[in-house]
Amino acid sequence: MADDSVYPIHLLMDELKSEDVMLRLTSIRRLSTIALALGPQRTREELIPFLQDQLDDEDEVLLVLAEELGGFAEYVGGKEWAWTVLGPLENLAAVEETLVRDKAAESISKITVQISPQALDQHFLPLLKRLSGGDWFTSRTSACALYAAPYPKAPTEMQAEMRRMFQQLGSDDTPMVRRAVAKALGPLAKAVASVPGQKSLLISDLLPLYRKLASDDQDSVRLLTIPDLIAFAQNLSPEEVKEYLLDVMRASVSDKSWRVRYMVANEFVGLAEAVGENIVRDELVRAFVGLLKDNEAEVRTAGAGQIPGFAKLVDRDTILSRLLPCVKDLSTDSSQHVRAALAMQISGLAPLLGKDLTIEHLLPLFLQLLKDDFSEVRLNLISKLEMVNNVIGIERLSQALLPAIIELAEDKQWRVRQAIIEYIPLLATQLGVQFFDDKLGALCMSWLGDTVFSIREAATINLKKLTDVFGVEWARATIIPKVLEMGDHPNYLYRMTTIFAITTMASSLNVQIIRDTVLDAALSLSEDPIPNIRFNVAKCLETLAGVLSTSPDGQELIQRRIIPAVSKLQNDTDADVRYFSNKAMERTVGDGAEEPMVLS
Amino acid sequence: MASDLDKQLEQLKRCEIIPEPAVKDLCQKAKEILIEEGNVQYVDSPVTICGDIHGQFFDLMELFKVGGSCPETSYVFMGDFVDRGFYSVETFLILLLLKVRYPDRITLIRGNHESRQITQVYGFYDECMRKYGSSNVWRYCCDVFDYLSLGAVVDGRVFCVHGGLSPSIARLDQIRVIDRRQEVPHEGPMCDLLWSDPDDIVNWGMSPRGAGFLFGGDIVDQFNRNNDIELIARAHQLVMEGYKLMFDRKIVTVWSAPNYCYRCGNVASILELDEDLRQEYKVFDCAAPDAKSIPQKRPLMHEYFL
Repeated sequence: MADDSVYPIHLLMDELKSEDVMLRLTSIRRLSTIALALGPQRTREELIPFLQDQLDDEDEVLLVLAEELGGFAEYVGGKEWAWTVLGPLENLAAVEETLVRDKAAESISKITVQISPQALDQHFLPLLKRLSGGDWFTSRTSACALYAAPYPKAPTEMQAEMRRMFQQLGSDDTPMVRRAVAKALGPLAKAVASVPGQKSLLISDLLPLYRKLASDDQDSVRLLTIPDLIAFAQNLSPEEVKEYLLDVMRASVSDKSWRVRYMVANEFVGLAEAVGENIVRDELVRAFVGLLKDNEAEVRTAGAGQIPGFAKLVDRDTILSRLLPCVKDLSTDSSQHVRAALAMQISGLAPLLGKDLTIEHLLPLFLQLLKDDFSEVRLNLISKLEMVNNVIGIERLSQALLPAIIELAEDKQWRVRQAIIEYIPLLATQLGVQFFDDKLGALCMSWLGDTVFSIREAATINLKKLTDVFGVEWARATIIPKVLEMGDHPNYLYRMTTIFAITTMASSLNVQIIRDTVLDAALSLSEDPIPNIRFNVAKCLETLAGVLSTSPDGQELIQRRIIPAVSKLQNDTDADVRYFSNKAMERTVGDGAEEPMVLS
Repeated sequence: MASDLDKQLEQLKRCEIIPEPAVKDLCQKAKEILIEEGNVQYVDSPVTICGDIHGQFFDLMELFKVGGSCPETSYVFMGDFVDRGFYSVETFLILLLLKVRYPDRITLIRGNHESRQITQVYGFYDECMRKYGSSNVWRYCCDVFDYLSLGAVVDGRVFCVHGGLSPSIARLDQIRVIDRRQEVPHEGPMCDLLWSDPDDIVNWGMSPRGAGFLFGGDIVDQFNRNNDIELIARAHQLVMEGYKLMFDRKIVTVWSAPNYCYRCGNVASILELDEDLRQEYKVFDCAAPDAKSIPQKRPLMHEYFL
């Protein structure tokens, strides 16, 4: 037994020395098991010091180590001892690879929220000082992310020290560190604001830092201050926002770098929600219009994505007078990415505008986007039409859009055709048989002969759904004859469509219709010269038998017609036909002779 | 047995690799099937002919969406399954699984990239190392490469080959005597079949590739007449339009890797031969851009600009 207890750590040491990265990775992933076997004390005294020196490895292994250590508090003896894990994590937070450092910082944050204020002061503050004052930007960068999580729990004096150190990092020479500060500032601002009585520190200590970073000469730093802006706005009163943030916000909105403007546009709804309605009305409507008219397509794309979210925050008149003109311009934007983003979002305006205004203002734009040259634009619009349907009703929608839909149904891009097919059952449900037969019936049939397999497949699924909507008698009169016609096609891929359609529709049909129509077609295709057709007939007969078995008439049909056909296929010359017909026989009568797959 | 293969097929269709022991088994079974096939494998029409795939797994899935799934549609793949794309492992394994599961419905022939030397340079070897942590899977697959047919003939009338013709081969029968179970040689008939290209020249020419030859319309004419062939279907060269017929429609290049290397901007195609060998070319585009289709070099990149 004594030998067993040393075993885990030696095994680990051996495995970590292995040449094979995979083996080292697996053993690191099992670290918690080893710690559990060792017990808390030996984990602290042997395993942790051992890991402290395990830095000479592939980044992949270090990444997993950094992650594992974040959950290690319970293995070293709980909260009281959690600080002991900080040692190896500190080393990991200083390595070169960003991913490893980020993960180590995340794990340190996880540990720090678990330990006591005293332990923070005693064990974490020195670590934070070392990393924040490190010679290399790597450790200083990692340090930035470590402030927010422990801050609320830290002793008051330590909090003051932390704020001072963080401010200092904000003046770092390297943009890498300043970027990290900008990223960490929002979370820290939230942490400070969450401590009772410290709101004033937000304005006195952190706000100057934000203003400094927001006017950094590197745009890569400035663009990261947009989430900070939101974090501050969320924690300040509207008056304070106006007093302290408005000028900086204006500067960001009209920043000379498009990447900063992109960031503003991308976060616009979050920003608007944070600043309150007065500022939205007085400032942000104009700013948003500006972004939607920006010179850079990327900025307009990001802005287009925020349209319905922002529109929710303003009144209907503002939507009509200020936003809608921009939306009109965007629908003919020179960049297809902008139009695609708009097409994805424009439907979201319909519930805000209501029925009449949607018909008046949005429908013309829909029609235009449906005719767009780029399929992504059309697809995005179609995928969100349901929202419009709810506002103006299917009749209005289909009247206005039907010509455009029929055009799309014949689009060169098969995915566009597929998107339309998927929309057909919904249209059918609401339009009724008469309208459907007149306007859409022929279209649905033409898809059965499409050159792309997926469209033929979607067409058969569509026919099943239509049968469910309009009933089997309608199917017998309208679609089944067309389906069976395809069974005579000279190309096997199209004859296959008949078999697929019968198989797919089977569960929606009844015994009588199967007996009178589709069964004969399926049986005659069981004599097809092409084996691919014959083994799909076997699959089809299996499905038909499943439907038929529910009634005595059906069972008689199975015995008299299906079983003889399947047993004939069981003696086919083709191995796949034999395989699928054996399976069909087995499923149908329950005792088909199993023939092993022929493999060689 | 069949259900094991079906499970593995489902897994690979999701672009998930199967464990190394399963690959070993699969390659063993594949060799048992392939060894029975001829250097020039007879294939019955109707069948769909495909060109280079080059590890573009999601585009292969797109190909099946356009052409129909296997076994419902029968296929001939004319080689270059691996290298260059990000998913050579998944691509080759799913094709091999289909071969083992439905040997009569899919025919795989060898391309110049199905070689130990080439795959060590163009990505397949590295991908195996990355995904399995050792070179075992690469070795199993390379052993299978040596068993792949060098060509196929559909109904005796359409000759499928990866590269093209060879000055040492006037008749199809001359291919049948090659001992194909070897690494692709640097010269000779086996090398030429996998490396040559048609060109607007007369007779034979030097190939700029350093292996195989260039061959002109007269050579194609003569070969087709001698062997009673109506069409040579080959792959091996990127064609922006997906396929290219040459020499009075006597030879066609079929290319099945859309937006080759994720950057060429080309469309791809497959050639459907129906039961009367009527040709229908289906052109298709790359799979819808999806976070999964091109992996990030790093596992995560949160920030837009950094």
